[in-house]
Amino acid sequence: MKRINTRILKDRIFLLGIIILSLLAILPLFHILLTIFIKGFPVLIKGGIEFLTGTLPPPGHELGGIGPAIIGTFILVTLSSMLGIPIAIMAGIFAYEYPNSFIGRATRLLLQIMMEFPTILVGLFSMFILVTPMGTYSAIAGAFALAIIMMPYVAISTEESLREVPKDYKEAAYSLGLTRFQVIFKVMVRIARRGILTGILIGIAKAAGETAPLLFTIGGSTRVYFEGLDKPIGAIPLLIYNLVQQPYENYHQIAWGAALVLLLIYLLIFTPIRLKLREVRL
Amino acid sequence: MKDYLKIFLLPFSSLVFGIFILMLIVYFLNSYEIFKREGLAIYFTNVWNASEIPEEEYYGVLAAIYGSLYTSIIAIIISLPLSISLAIFIVDYAPKRLKEFFIIASDIMAGLPTILYGIWGAFILVPFLKNYVMEPLYQSLSFIPLFSYPPTTGFSYLSAGVLLGIMVTPFATSIIREAYRMIPQMYKEALYSLGATRYEATKVLLGYIKPAIVAGMILAFGRAIGETVAVSLVIGNVFNIDISLFAPGYTISSLIANQFGNAFVYEYMVSALFAAGLSLFFIGLIINILALYIIRRWKYETY
Amino acid sequence: MIRKFLLILFLAIIFIPMCTKKEFITITGSGATFPQPQFEKWISEFIKEMPNVRIEYYGGGSGKGLNDFKKGLVDFALSDPPIKKQLWKELEKKGKILQFPIIIGAVAIVFNVPNVDELKLSRDVLVDIFLGKIEYWDDERIKRLNPDKKLPHEKIIVVHRSDSSGTTEIFTTFLSIISEEWRTKVGSGKYVDWPVDKLGRGLGGKGNQGVVAIIKQTPYTIGYVEYAYAIRENLSIALIENREGNFVKPEQETIKEAVKNVALVFPEPDRGYEEKIENLLDPPGNNSYPIIAVSHMIVWKDYPDEKAKILKEFIKWIMTEGQKDTYIMPGYAPLPKEVAEIGIRAAEMIE
Repeated sequence: MKRINTRILKDRIFLLGIIILSLLAILPLFHILLTIFIKGFPVLIKGGIEFLTGTLPPPGHELGGIGPAIIGTFILVTLSSMLGIPIAIMAGIFAYEYPNSFIGRATRLLLQIMMEFPTILVGLFSMFILVTPMGTYSAIAGAFALAIIMMPYVAISTEESLREVPKDYKEAAYSLGLTRFQVIFKVMVRIARRGILTGILIGIAKAAGETAPLLFTIGGSTRVYFEGLDKPIGAIPLLIYNLVQQPYENYHQIAWGAALVLLLIYLLIFTPIRLKLREVRL
Repeated sequence: MKDYLKIFLLPFSSLVFGIFILMLIVYFLNSYEIFKREGLAIYFTNVWNASEIPEEEYYGVLAAIYGSLYTSIIAIIISLPLSISLAIFIVDYAPKRLKEFFIIASDIMAGLPTILYGIWGAFILVPFLKNYVMEPLYQSLSFIPLFSYPPTTGFSYLSAGVLLGIMVTPFATSIIREAYRMIPQMYKEALYSLGATRYEATKVLLGYIKPAIVAGMILAFGRAIGETVAVSLVIGNVFNIDISLFAPGYTISSLIANQFGNAFVYEYMVSALFAAGLSLFFIGLIINILALYIIRRWKYETY
Repeated sequence: MIRKFLLILFLAIIFIPMCTKKEFITITGSGATFPQPQFEKWISEFIKEMPNVRIEYYGGGSGKGLNDFKKGLVDFALSDPPIKKQLWKELEKKGKILQFPIIIGAVAIVFNVPNVDELKLSRDVLVDIFLGKIEYWDDERIKRLNPDKKLPHEKIIVVHRSDSSGTTEIFTTFLSIISEEWRTKVGSGKYVDWPVDKLGRGLGGKGNQGVVAIIKQTPYTIGYVEYAYAIRENLSIALIENREGNFVKPEQETIKEAVKNVALVFPEPDRGYEEKIENLLDPPGNNSYPIIAVSHMIVWKDYPDEKAKILKEFIKWIMTEGQKDTYIMPGYAPLPKEVAEIGIRAAEMIE
């Protein structure tokens, strides 16, 4: 009798422990979200529209705006998507279609390695092969680094969602006399498009939020909006990183406001990801 | 018949490889100078003599390597119990609605831009840890070497480790969760029908997915060691090697973030930083291959 | 549907900024954070009169400025210490360069000790704090200098720059002048291997701003920053023993007195490497503040037409209008007239 009691007691303690630790694990998220809202919201209200369009003020009391950084982030995300997504989808299809060939296996392994790669190393790389030869920080250099970072996410989810398509479709398509090319692009990719789109959005979310690869590539404009893809540009995460290290109270406020803007952009990308697919690994 | 698809796709795959190999070449070529000059001593000494007179320059990144390993180990020690609990809770115990909620929350957390962790870490977490964790521990337990450093600033290995632990937990959770979910329902039913309590059943099941947990932790370690901006805001950025959790230090990535911007003024600093990057490169590579190997072997053995 | 939507979004993002783009001439610079507040003030005043000109100054430290200038990433750089001969020669490989002083400032020793707002530091105590020899705030030697202050028994945390910095070079050069031990053990430069780091009592901040941010947040710290930052953020400033044995704070008068007492002899813009910062440091004079410094601007001799024109005007403006009291920020001192003329001559050399 007594033994059973200790067993049940142990069970209770175990369950309690699991619940407490689980709550503890996600508690920081809510604290982070709450803090960013509490500190960022008044800044957005006070700064108004100008906060989204204006430029960085001198240290003091003004809030100014983070316009160049917002435009910069959008341009960087767009450009890196245009560079990275097509290559990534093709590489993903390759890994799916030739899973047993050496290159196919190697591609898959490489993509998995790249997914976990320290992003600052990519930034350094881009600085070396683009910034130095071009002689200027530029949107292209930043977008190149971001493209490398988003590629594995897009490629792997392309491969995985193609693999989830039942084999029957493929066989049916072949039996209609379609070529291998047509089977993949006209049938398989269309069926798997939701999964692929999810991967694209995850890649975009990554690209929008990265800071480290931009440190030595884009220059970080705060007063000049946009002058061309071969010119320096701003980005919200980089702006926050720089402002946090300043002693000025108004800069800290701007940083919180910018953090809220970044959070909203991130959630905006994230929501469709959730609606599309249940299980997502970011 | 010619396989046009393969011919069409091959360039894209090769491009991915090309970029990766080019990256490796760039790192090797740029580190060459410093290896020629200092040999492997760059990894085993703790000096940072930046001088505009090239003869006086000497670099050693031991403090940064130490800091990177130390903070990442703290991170996985924190993350291990949290991520296992969260995974079990989501799969086995949470009611359906709550389950959905927890999954969404941990997904949001996994993808949250790291700079947001950084700003929260610098302004909220560091003062909190300093006032409510470091100071009490220091006051009562400072005879233990781990707690022997006075926590005057809060910028420390501990702050960086805790922040990293929070950041990698959702990621580790998703790996463990996936493995835990894949355990055939039959096993669970068998265990319960033998009269096992939930605690006992879970213990057995966790033993079953142990390789996946190990792999998850290794991958989490890899993420932690590569993180840059959030860490550089809370680590203190000094060339210090200290056993105490409360001491400030450096990590490889924050060293690069801090110094690369002015490295070209000097003759050898660029090369020294690329060599530091190279070490990160290889740590990352080894970790990934190890984890992938463990997962693959486990999957192979079980199915 | 979604894909179309995304496509439209992408196109909009790309084209909207392109359409709204106006013809600007943009000049960029990076470098010293020491004169940054002053320099940004000048920029904002100057471009008021020049609607189609943008001048962006990124800061980032003297090291970063020279780094970017050397790589051709920016049009000009600011650096506190003059360029050394070695680097000058390397730069000359790419083209002729010009260097000239733009503003005078001072390095203030700032600290954060609760309930202590003033602190006297003698030369040897200052050196020993940064060497790490004096460990606690209530050390006998500090107490003796400040008998009426309540100094706590807390470890001294030294905050220094984590980047390659002109402010660091000026400060460590000063320490090397006043202490033989510092000169042989640590030396001077934009980045030195701080002895306090290895004792676990050092902290690094990025830029003058980074150092200020840490000192503001953290009690029991001491560090060195440009005087303007200390005033703006209301940091406590230490009184430093000068050459005559008096304890002085950086102030408008003490800086001016110091400037008066040094021979402000600067080489011509195209021979900037002949300049030595030692000349300015630790001047005589009862009321002189000992750690003053001149910030320099470094430009190429040749630019494309439009940039050359704007830069010329900008430099001339700095050297004339910019040196007037109305445009000088608290914490800096204007250049004497004959020194400002060097800059004007430099502007005339630009082609």
